[in-house]
Amino acid sequence: MIERLEESGGIVGPDGVVHEVEVIVGDTESNPDVAASLARRYVDEDEVVALIMGSVTPISLAIAEVATEAEVPYISMASSLAIISDPDTGEMRPWVFKVAQSNGDVAEWQVQRLESMGVGSVCYMYENTGYGKDCYNNSSGKLTEAGFENAFEGTFERTDTEFPQVPGIEAAGCDVVIIGAIPPGAANAHVAIRTALPDIPIIHGHGVCTTDFITAGGEAVEGAEMPCSAVIIAEDIPADHPAKDIWMDFKDAYEAYTGQPVSTFGGHAYDALYWVVDALETLPEGLSLAEQRAAVRDYLENDIKDWPGTAGIFNLAPDDHYGLDYTSFTWFKVDGQMFVPFPQEEW
Amino acid sequence: MHKYLGTRSARRGVSVAAMVLLVAFVLILAHQNGYGPKAFAQWTIDGIRGGSIYALVGLGFVVIHSVTGVINFAQGEFVMLGAMLSASIYELDLPLPPVLKLVVAIVCSVLIVTIVGLVLERGAIYPARGANVVTLIIITIGATIAIRAAALIVWGTRARIVPFFTNQEQLDVILRPFGLTLGVQSLWIWGTVALVLCALLFFFERTIMGKALRACAVNRRAAELMGINPSRMSLLAFGMAAALGAIGGVVFGPVIRPQYDMGLVFGLKGFVAAIMAGMISPLGAVLGGLITGVAENIGAGVTQLYGYKDGIAFIILILILLFRPQGLIGGGERGVEQS
Repeated sequence: MIERLEESGGIVGPDGVVHEVEVIVGDTESNPDVAASLARRYVDEDEVVALIMGSVTPISLAIAEVATEAEVPYISMASSLAIISDPDTGEMRPWVFKVAQSNGDVAEWQVQRLESMGVGSVCYMYENTGYGKDCYNNSSGKLTEAGFENAFEGTFERTDTEFPQVPGIEAAGCDVVIIGAIPPGAANAHVAIRTALPDIPIIHGHGVCTTDFITAGGEAVEGAEMPCSAVIIAEDIPADHPAKDIWMDFKDAYEAYTGQPVSTFGGHAYDALYWVVDALETLPEGLSLAEQRAAVRDYLENDIKDWPGTAGIFNLAPDDHYGLDYTSFTWFKVDGQMFVPFPQEEW
Repeated sequence: MHKYLGTRSARRGVSVAAMVLLVAFVLILAHQNGYGPKAFAQWTIDGIRGGSIYALVGLGFVVIHSVTGVINFAQGEFVMLGAMLSASIYELDLPLPPVLKLVVAIVCSVLIVTIVGLVLERGAIYPARGANVVTLIIITIGATIAIRAAALIVWGTRARIVPFFTNQEQLDVILRPFGLTLGVQSLWIWGTVALVLCALLFFFERTIMGKALRACAVNRRAAELMGINPSRMSLLAFGMAAALGAIGGVVFGPVIRPQYDMGLVFGLKGFVAAIMAGMISPLGAVLGGLITGVAENIGAGVTQLYGYKDGIAFIILILILLFRPQGLIGGGERGVEQS
């Protein structure tokens, strides 16, 4: 994507002139402190117009603080709604947006799936991270509302080798286990439960929609179910789907560049970058940096409508800096070491 | 003298009472949460498996500390290197059947990590040999950070796969004795720990080289006067410790899906095991590791405070440093003398 931007020489502005765009790439080392100081450097020294950073929640929260303070539009690629809403008032943070699907929408799907299975009680395992807690907070509320008994909840760490939670799940005697984690932690927990309890259904969140999950888990994750963006099976989507072209484009570009099968995480960066590119294309000449930043922010908030992205069709609004709902997901199942759609009609 | 004995037996009484209270507390909690003996048995065998890696790391700490007085905090990174290297070598397209490929991966990764240990000693510890022990410890912390950063550059953040030893597949053969779950890899791990411990004890007790190492540990100056070269012994100790860590990483690789930053946790838990051994006794380090593993598994399992699982090991560490700095097992008076 960045290469493509550079090849075309930049962005065609409303005046018809090509403007160069510089995309600066840094590594947050998955460390919130590193991420916050990187963000500050980009804002102060490199004078960026917008920030696109952070594919996990804790990092995004750290950057969101920096962006809010410096009044720079910031697009997070992590899932938690807590990133875009103010912790005190619950209102949208004016400068913060996100492109990745929310755990609330994941929970909607999980409730529907559990209802179709006709189960009574649920065990919940989640990784002790921002994402895992967000999964749990969203799902546990929705599941209890829907009348499921929350028989067990336990956290785990990505580095855990042993899972004392498993006898707990056994003792709780629940019908289904839901795991809220990303690989490899999600795979570790899945394998531990699967080895002890060969028959219990295991459902995940959308954090596992990457082939890393299947490579890490192997045979043991066969039958795992989860909601994902259909971009991971882009070529099987009917041609009249509004996002089909975008998905194929992204999938081809991603697979050509990385040599790996497509991942939804890369898609979030793709969406975010094109939001900003679209916004920049509308900028008139001669704005100061602060004006440019404000203009990009206003564009993101008001003008991303029916916008087909890799994660779904976005509709942003001043009270919704995210713009997707649960229909952006498709329910999947791991079958033959692949993500295979598992539509509602087959439940 | 009499008074001294009195306080000692009083202290013993207090600690026995504390133990009884703790056990009672655990049993009551278990009863409340509906855990039977089966759950305890499962936690124990899982804990022994997890504790085995702490034991191997702890052994590495003990070997280096008893010879040089240095606490080598890079010990956990040796585990990471062992696991990551064996995964990478196995991924290579070698024209070999899987079993041989696995053997090659294991042998090569242990050798390479041993060389890393030797290079670390010659490159970073030896040039600073005149310095204070604290300085040397800080050097090992620096080495930890450097190794981890290098691993991040080489391997990225993605988790690797090491196949299980028995079937060279990603899913272990599972035994179900008495309704418990036991992966065959656990047997490989326990066998390895037992073998390594026996080999180490034999080496220290029965070989000239091992005795020379121990002599350095007891009194460096006297050993030097007897014609033992302490700097060579220090090199040997680092090589052995690196190999121990690597062996741990290799046998644990299939179980953990190694990542570049896995070394830290194992290093710290292994340190707890070594402290339990008074930093001096190999047998103590193994027992300490197993106790740590079982304690954290049962503790987290019974209380259902899984998030505090890592905390349990460090509570043990603090209690031991406060009340028995000479170690619980095998440290004894020599441990005191050392510190």
